[in-house]
Parts: sequence; C-alpha cells; structure tokens
Amino acid sequence: MFGNWRFQRLPSAHPGVAFGARAAAVIAALVFTGIILAIAGANPIELAGEVIDSSFGSSFGLEDLALLFIPLILTGLAVTVAQQIGTWNIGAEGQFYLGAFSATAVGLFVPGPPALILVLMFVAGVVGGMLWILVPTLARAYANVNELITTLLLNFVAALLVYYVSTGPWRDRVGLANSATPRLSAEVPEFWGIVHWGLPVAVLVVIATAAVFTFSRWGYEVRLSGSNPSAAKYAGIPVRRHLITVMLLSGGIAGLAGMLEIAGTVHRLQGGISNNFGYLGIMVAVLARGSSIGVIFSAALMAFILNSGIILQTQGLTTSAVLAMTGLILFLTAIGDELSHYRITREKT
Amino acid sequence: MVNLRNLSRRGFLNMSAAGAASTFLPSGLMRQAAAAEPLPAIKEEDAVLGFGHVGPITDEGWTWSHHQGLLACKEAYPNLKNILEVENVPYSSDATRTYRQFVKEGANMIFDTSSTGDFLHEVVKRAPEVAFMECNGHVLMDNLGWYYLAHWYPTYVIGVAAGHLSKTGKLGYVASFPVASVYCSTNAFIMGARTVNPDATLQTIVINSWFDPQAATQAGTALVDNGCDFLFGIMDEAGYLQVAEKRNVWAAMWNTDIRRYGPNAYVSSVIIDFKDFYVDQVGKRLAGEWTPGEHLLPLGGGVDRDAWGQNVPQEVGDAADAVRQKMLDGWSPFVGELKDVNGEVRVPEGQRMTEMELYNWDWSVEGVTGLSS
Amino acid sequence: MNEAAPHFTPPAGTPPIVQLKGIAKYFPGVIANQDVDLEVYPGEIHALLGENGAGKSTLMNILTGIYQADAGEIIIDGYKREFASPQQAIAAGIGMVHQHFKLVQAFTVAENIHLGWDETPRRASAAKLERRTADLAKRFNLQVRPGARISDLSTGEQQRVEILRVLARQARVLILDEPTAVLTPAEARELFSALRNFVAEGNAVFFISHKLDEVLEISDRITILRGGRKIATEKASDCDPRMLAKLMVGRDIVLDDMRARPQGAAPVSKEPVLSLKNVTARGDDGSPALHDINLAVHAGEIVGVAGVAGNGQRELSQVLTGVRPAASGQIVVDGKPMSGRNAAAYAAGGIGHIPEDRLHSGLAPALSITINAVMREYMKPPITNAGVYNPGAATALSKEIAEAADVMIPDYGMPIRNLSGGNQQRLVARREMRIANKVLVAAYPSRGLDVGAINTMLRYIVELRDAGAGIVLISEELEELLNLSDRIAVLYEGRIMGELENQNIDIDEIGLLMGGRTQSEKTREVA
Repeated sequence: MFGNWRFQRLPSAHPGVAFGARAAAVIAALVFTGIILAIAGANPIELAGEVIDSSFGSSFGLEDLALLFIPLILTGLAVTVAQQIGTWNIGAEGQFYLGAFSATAVGLFVPGPPALILVLMFVAGVVGGMLWILVPTLARAYANVNELITTLLLNFVAALLVYYVSTGPWRDRVGLANSATPRLSAEVPEFWGIVHWGLPVAVLVVIATAAVFTFSRWGYEVRLSGSNPSAAKYAGIPVRRHLITVMLLSGGIAGLAGMLEIAGTVHRLQGGISNNFGYLGIMVAVLARGSSIGVIFSAALMAFILNSGIILQTQGLTTSAVLAMTGLILFLTAIGDELSHYRITREKT
Repeated sequence: MVNLRNLSRRGFLNMSAAGAASTFLPSGLMRQAAAAEPLPAIKEEDAVLGFGHVGPITDEGWTWSHHQGLLACKEAYPNLKNILEVENVPYSSDATRTYRQFVKEGANMIFDTSSTGDFLHEVVKRAPEVAFMECNGHVLMDNLGWYYLAHWYPTYVIGVAAGHLSKTGKLGYVASFPVASVYCSTNAFIMGARTVNPDATLQTIVINSWFDPQAATQAGTALVDNGCDFLFGIMDEAGYLQVAEKRNVWAAMWNTDIRRYGPNAYVSSVIIDFKDFYVDQVGKRLAGEWTPGEHLLPLGGGVDRDAWGQNVPQEVGDAADAVRQKMLDGWSPFVGELKDVNGEVRVPEGQRMTEMELYNWDWSVEGVTGLSS
Repeated sequence: MNEAAPHFTPPAGTPPIVQLKGIAKYFPGVIANQDVDLEVYPGEIHALLGENGAGKSTLMNILTGIYQADAGEIIIDGYKREFASPQQAIAAGIGMVHQHFKLVQAFTVAENIHLGWDETPRRASAAKLERRTADLAKRFNLQVRPGARISDLSTGEQQRVEILRVLARQARVLILDEPTAVLTPAEARELFSALRNFVAEGNAVFFISHKLDEVLEISDRITILRGGRKIATEKASDCDPRMLAKLMVGRDIVLDDMRARPQGAAPVSKEPVLSLKNVTARGDDGSPALHDINLAVHAGEIVGVAGVAGNGQRELSQVLTGVRPAASGQIVVDGKPMSGRNAAAYAAGGIGHIPEDRLHSGLAPALSITINAVMREYMKPPITNAGVYNPGAATALSKEIAEAADVMIPDYGMPIRNLSGGNQQRLVARREMRIANKVLVAAYPSRGLDVGAINTMLRYIVELRDAGAGIVLISEELEELLNLSDRIAVLYEGRIMGELENQNIDIDEIGLLMGGRTQSEKTREVA
C-alpha cells in the first residue's frame, strides 16, 4: 500500500543526486516552456532546433553567448563574493554603472596612448565599483545597517547619474537618435569575432577568486566570518575588516564588469548600459549556490537563456515568454535542490 | 510630386529604374555611397527581410507606421514569405544581438527603424552580404544606408498655426532626448510660431524615452501648469494629447492621426508614411539594384501635416497652409540670420541652411529653453 | 531537596484521562517512537524521563497534534481521538508549554493570552483584555501582570504567561517540556506548587525532563523512554536517582565526586594562570554587564561559576577568552597583561573556550566539519604555510580531533549541523582541549546533553585539569559544580556575590547567593 512508502529527508544531498536534480529541473523547465509555446500555437521542436542551431551552430552564435557571458560571470561573481562574508550585494547593478561611468571618464578626458588609457580605465572601473559600495559597506560594518536596502537604493542613483551625464554634459553632439557619450577611442581588443579579451580576464578573475577563497588563510577566515560572525569573533578573526575588504572586492568586480562592457562591447556610456546585468548576477549567484567556480556554469546557462530570448523574439515570441522561462528554471531548480535531500524508501511492516 | 501609391507594382519598378537617371528622386535621396557595388539580386521567395523596431507595432505612432511599410512590402511582393520582425529592440547591446540574429537567420535586407547607431554598425561591418538601412542614421557604409524625414517643414507649418492659436505665447514641448531631431523640431516649431507672435517662447522637457506614456503625461501636465497653452513634442504615443484635452489647451502630435484621443485639443500632426519608400528599397534589393544611400523623405513625399483639427479656425489653417504651399514650391524658412539662445549668430544673414545642416542641427535658436546645449 | 512525593495510586475504577496505545512515529532513518503505551490519570503528575533523542518531545508532539502517529491510538476519556492539528488537541483539553516560549515579544501579556483564541471578544479594548487576563490569573492562581510587555518579563514570568495561555483554553492535561531549565530554584518551587494545585482539581500534567532530582520531587509516576521505546513506568516513591539514570542510559552511570586527583595529576599552582582584577564589561546593548570582577584561576584547579543563566555568565566567559573587551580592569594570563588583545591572542596564549551556545558562537553550523574542527589551528603549519591554506592538512587534523572525541564521521565535508548536539560538543571540547594548555573556559558544557554525553564531557574536563590546566566551569547544574569544582563563585547581576571553598558547602547558601543575597545578609538572616 501507499502507506508503506515514505519520504526520507537526508541531512545532506549526494552531489550526484543534486546535480541530477538540477539537470532535471532545467529540462523540466524547458519542457514546460515547450508545452506553453505549443499551446500558444508555436512549434516548440522547430523553435528548439532554431535556438540550438543559432546558439551553437555557428561561431556567430557562440560569439554572442560569449559576449553575454562576460558581464554575467563578473556580476554573478560579485554577488557570490559578497555571499562569502554573509552579505547580499543587491547593488551590483549600481556598481556596474559606476564602473562604466568611471572608465568612461578616463576614456573621455585623460589623454595618452590607448594601452595606458585602457589600464587606467580598468583601475577606474574597479575603483568606481568599490566607491559605490563603500557607503553601504561602512554602514553595515559600523552601524549594522542592512546592506540589502542600501545597495539596492544606490542602484537607482547610479542609473540616474549615468542618464544625466550621457544625456547632458558628456553627450555626443552629433549623429545619434538616442543620447550617449562620444565613442571611446581606447577599446579592449577583440580576439574572436566580436569577443574581446574581457572574456579570458573575467574567467581568470573567477578562478583567482575561487582559489583565494579555497586556498588561503584569508579565504578560510572570510568563509567562517560569513557563515557565522559570532564564531569568527570567537576564533579571534577580524570580522569587520574582512567584511569591508570582501564587500569592496565585490563592488570592484561588479565595477570591472561595467568597465569591460564599456571598453569591450558598447564603447559609449549611455542610460541603460547595464542591461540589468547587475540584477541578473543575483540569479547567477543563486544558481551557483555560493560557489565561485559554479558561477562559470550558471553564467553560461544564464547567457544561453538570454540569447535564446533574442532568438525567440525574432521568431515572433515576446520577451515575457523568455522571462517566464528564466523564472521557471529558477523555481524548478529550487524544488530540485530540496528534493535531492529526499529519498523514497519502503517501510517493512 | 507623383503619387506613387497609385502606380501598379510593375509600373512602379519601371518608374524607379527610370528615376535613377532623372532628377526625380522618389525617396528624397541626398547622396549615394560612392564605390559600392550593388548586392546581387535575390528571388522573391528566397528573400529574408528583417525589421527591428524601437516600440511595439501597436503604438499607433512611429513603430506602427514602419509596420505599415512592412505590410506594404508584403502586398507589393506577394511571394516574399520570410519577414522577421522584432519589437521593443532596446538601445543597448541587445540591439546588436537582435540584428546579428537576423543575419544568422539569413536576412538579405535589414531595416533598423529607430537608429541604434554603433549597436547596428557592429553587425553591418561583419555582414557585408546583407543590406542595412538605418532610420535616422548618420553613417554611410558599403552595405549601410540611412533614411529619415524632412520633418522640419511640416513642423514649421504647425508652428505657424501655434503662433495663431496660443494666447499666452508660451508653447510647451515634450522631448525624448537632446538629439538632433529634437533640436531641429523645436527650432522649426518656434520659428514658425514667431512669424505670427515674435514674443512666443518654447519650454522643453526631456523625458529620456521615445515611448513612455506616464512620463509624457507628467511632462505635459507640468508644461500646462507653467502656463503653456499649446503642447508639441516627439512622442510615439498620445500621452500629452490627453493632458491637453483635459486641461483645455492645444496639442500637436507626431506620426499618425490620433485625434480621437483629444478631438478638441488636436491641432495637427507631423504625419509620416514610409510605405512607398520601403516598397522601393526592397524592390531594388530584390532586383540587385540596391546601393546604400542617404534619404530624407520630403514634404508631401513621406512626411506632411495632418488635416487640421475640428476646433482649428479655418483662417488659421489657411494661413499655415499658405506657408506649406510656399515650401512645396521650393521656399525655405531656414535662412539666416539665425541666433542661438545665447544671442550668438550661428547662421549669417541670407544664408540658407542645407538639408543636411537641418538634419544635424545641434543647437537651439532663440526662444527655446530646456535643452542643454 | 528530595522530599517524599505524595504517594500516588491511580484510583480504582477511574478511567485514564489520556491513554496512548502502541504509538509509533518514524523519521527518515530514525525510529522516534515505537510501541509506546502510556496512561495518565486525573490528579497525576507524570514525568517523562529520557536522554536527548529518547523520543519524549516527539511523543508529546503527537499527543498535541503537531505530529501524527504512524501507528497506535490516542484515547481521551475513553474515546479514540485523532488530532490533525494543535487546535484540535487544545479543543480536547490538551495543551503544551514548549521549552522555547511561543510568545510575541512586542505584545502585552493580555494580548498574548488572547491571541488566536476563539473566545477572544471580536472587539475589545486593551483594558478589557487586561481585565479578562487578570480574572484568568486569579482563577488559576498564577501571578502575571496583564499590561506588561513580554520583552520586559523575566523568563519565569514568561513561563507563567505560557501556562496561563494554555490553562485559559480549558486544558485538563498540561504538558511541560523542560520547564525548570530557565528557572531559579525559587521560581521552580513556585511552579511546582502551581502544578500541584492544578492536578488537585482532577487534571493531569506531563512533565518532560532529564533532571533526575526534580523528576523525583514533583512527579507521581515516571515513565522512562530510551531509543523511542518505553522502558518502564514506575511510581516515583519506588525510584532513586541511580536507578533512573541506569534506566535512562541502559548502563550504570557514575555521577560522582570527581574532585579527587589521580596519581600523577598536576598539582595546583601557586601563582594563578589567569586572573581578573576589578574587571568590568558592557553587554551587547552597551549597558554594564559585569561589575568589578575579581577572579583567580590556578593551574590544575577547577573554579566553578554558579548562577541563574543571564546574570553575566556569557559576558564573563567572553571576557575571560578575549571575545569581549573589558571596559576596565586588568586581565593577566600567565603573568602577561592581556588588555587590548583579541580572542586570537588569548587562544594563542593557551586559553581554550567551550562557549555557552556552541551552535551560535562556537561553530559555523552550515560549514563543513573540517572547517569547524580546525578553527583554532588553521593559521599555523601544517594547515597554513605562508598564507596558503592546505585543505588536505585541515582534513587530516579534523580526523585527529574526531578520533580523540570518539565521533564517527562519514564525510568531513558535510555541514557540522548534521551531527548530533552531543557529537558537536565533543568535537568542540576536543578542539579546545588541544589549545587549552593554560586555561579552559567551559560555559554550560553539559547543557542540552544527555547523561551519557554529560559524563564524557565532565571526564574531558577532569582529564585536562589533571594535565595541569586551570578550568573555569560555568554551569547552572549545581550538582555538576559540586562534583567538579574546587571553588565555586556565584554570579548575580554581573557581580560575584561570593566565592566558596567546595567543602561541605550549604546548598541553600548557594541558592541565596544566586538569588542576589550576599553572604553577610545571609548571616544576618540566620542571626
């Protein structure tokens, strides 16, 4: 009888089971989306073929994925890094803007050879992101003000600041239907189609960050401080100092994402430059579950989903279908993660 | 002007083939790319077209008008089955992705109906076999042309009407971005109004969007609150017209006839029509005759003023239309001396601004406030 | 303390008020309860005794409708009942006061009493609710202040509110889960007399505990659970502590005087290894928490700190280990002044620390066993060399610690919260013992542990003392303090009320000091 079957909750999920549950969740989300599309009158098999062909069938498609991947991997990493010290950096969006803003300031107003300018833009981008998270960081460290709210609110300030300069004082005076700054002359060089050297830089940053967290005394102290600050205090770890360092690092990484987007992909500062990459980074981090290396995979998945969105739009679908798909994947992944803690057993009577 | 709409398709093709040699330019051609070889002809049934729009095709304005062009192409070339169309293309790297996707799907000709600039040009450079046309573009490449409207003429006409209709002499303008088409539009409007009321002023509010009914409504309300009794602007929807209707002031619009949203307030529109242009361009591409050019659709040939609103007195309409007729006959109001807002002479006495100068106008004439310059 | 309990015999012919038959409950991989039969009669206080994890709380959660039994029957007043929710159990007259109070801190007593109660008037002013509460308090003879906010009440008062809340809903069977854990001896006595009054009216009480003495004091009959099964039900008058302990753990337990030193044990040093001179400290909210503390700990001795929880013990243990800075005064470790040094410096100086709440401050529950096990030695070779952390060496050390603690660990990468409380505590203790070559500060080392685990923990402490470390043992279990300590200091409201040599100590004297009376006052009273 059914009564003999029981769900057993296990204290920790087997890694293989957890991976399987996630894969199943993604597939289930795709199947669901397919069914919805079919109900809406589209041919899901054909669309799936188009998505796969367009994404992986040509170097054009792979380049597109790579270009989306660069900012996502960095904003995802920014959020993940902040998680290591137990904070939520909801402000990667704002730090992205400030990274882009600061890099643009250097690109527009500092004269010099492009290689030098590029290095200065890199530094400016990172510092810009750090400055933007500085106030929430100090408020959290010294007054225990929840960084969730402060970082989030600063996003709007950053977006408006960039709107202001790109439609006002820094605006390009000729030849645009929308407002943006003049094109920056220093560019991160491309090495494969439209894909620029920001890609290897971003991947290296992720690997370096993961290595530092896993293989350094500092990383150990940060993980402990993040998981339980009282325990860290008990162990004599300078929790506040680590909190400040890690949050600044998080902001700097998000700022770097903005700098690379400006210098490698868009080349002009404009409103909406962030393309929501900061917010999407939160999703990337959630999917990565606190693992820096995991960010590589979840950013790749997110890039694929976003790119699929573009493809589906040319096939006559709206962006909301794509958003729904993203939401479904996250939702089912959460369920899958939980279910992977269970096993079904049969009681002997 | 010949009304192209009355021609049969075959007849039209003959016309345009002949037109290339004559001075008659149905699409207001300014310049043709110098050395570009035409891209090879394609069979109608094999051809793929791509349209990227800034807004939704249901906006009853700018995007709707371009969509009508797409429909006209379908009608003109019934075997043309494969037309890709994406709405709400953002002004961001997502635009690049969208146009790259068009290329991936085999598009032979792509129309960017609201200039995405560099985001489009990234794709143009990497897809030399595809013909690109950028509306409100500024760059000519071997496979990229641009097109726009000489909207300053009907705008001046509407400005004349505003000069007659406004009692306070305070005019309001809901602007998208401080870009050339907005400078030119505000300048033409105030210049038209000042021929009637030399003391008229134009207050501008920039809302940083081409389509944001809420912001446009707020801006319109603020302008009326400031004493403006005539609202104008470049918006792809009817937000501030509804404000004008409610607040009992005048309003003129852009793109299409949307007088039903404010029948009492409605004065006119800068009305646009891309159908003939699209049919012409697509026809050339199919025939293997397309080369990139710069097109400004002229007054009466793609851009005009709309029929006057029900409350516009006959004599006001007549006075404005007299100016319009002069323009059709070759007269231009955009002749020096013109001073900017700081009183500096920017166009010397007697000098007539060229169409390209008008198109790239980037400073405000006296009487305009609110656009940073 | 152990006065003879009133002799109780179930009256002939009276049906049990609650009868449990063959109750079973399974959790993944665990049998929480199996084949449990139990009866409670009107007028009875029935104790449920057992180690942690013996199934006491699960059984009571089944009776109150929080869990549903996988097998067996609940019979109330002779009728079989099934409770799908706590509300149904309350309607049947069964109410429970949990170990952790379920009160809304920001609400008043009256509001808490009336919260989620179908007899609460739909529209009622605060004054009306308070009046109703006062009436209820009078009826059940429980002193509460209806208008006071819960957050302003002592734990004893909060418990009375919880009990009143249950009784107001016409409970006839009251279940109390470890009710005395949070009370002073005096408060406990008040509670016991209130319970006596309650059962005298034909009601019944289930009393969950693992404290042998108080079970013997308050209950009429005692049911012992072990491993989810009922081992025995005995009249309290037929029991003694040693027998109950044996029934609980299934073997003989020696809860003995452990003060005697074995051969070869380190002697008590002449000079203190750790001394506090006129130390004051502030609490988390910035208010003074410790006043003018003077305490000296010598190598090879155990200094007990007695007192009701919340009287500065937490701050004292933190000041002793550098976690909390002293606001003034001097702390000297092995002759070196420690002012301005942090917890890491104290640990490096040979001070180990078993914190009062291991999950909150001694461990990072979500992190791996390895990360937690190396918390004291991660900064040194072989784990860290030149800033590079070696996970392999960390796992090796954590294996060593787990072996010393005699804890079986299937996977060192799993979160430490998956271990039982006893195993966590053993790991913490072993981890701290490795560095505590001068002093070990052990705060409530046996809290929440069962008799077997407590015994292990105390043996560890004695072992360390014999090895020559000074021990500060903070505890609320007087018996434990008396069995281990060479001296006992009593803490009350952040002050040391007195320090007693542990020879023929008068328990009542400690009780009075714990309640805030000084030694001189006590003498005066006697006089």
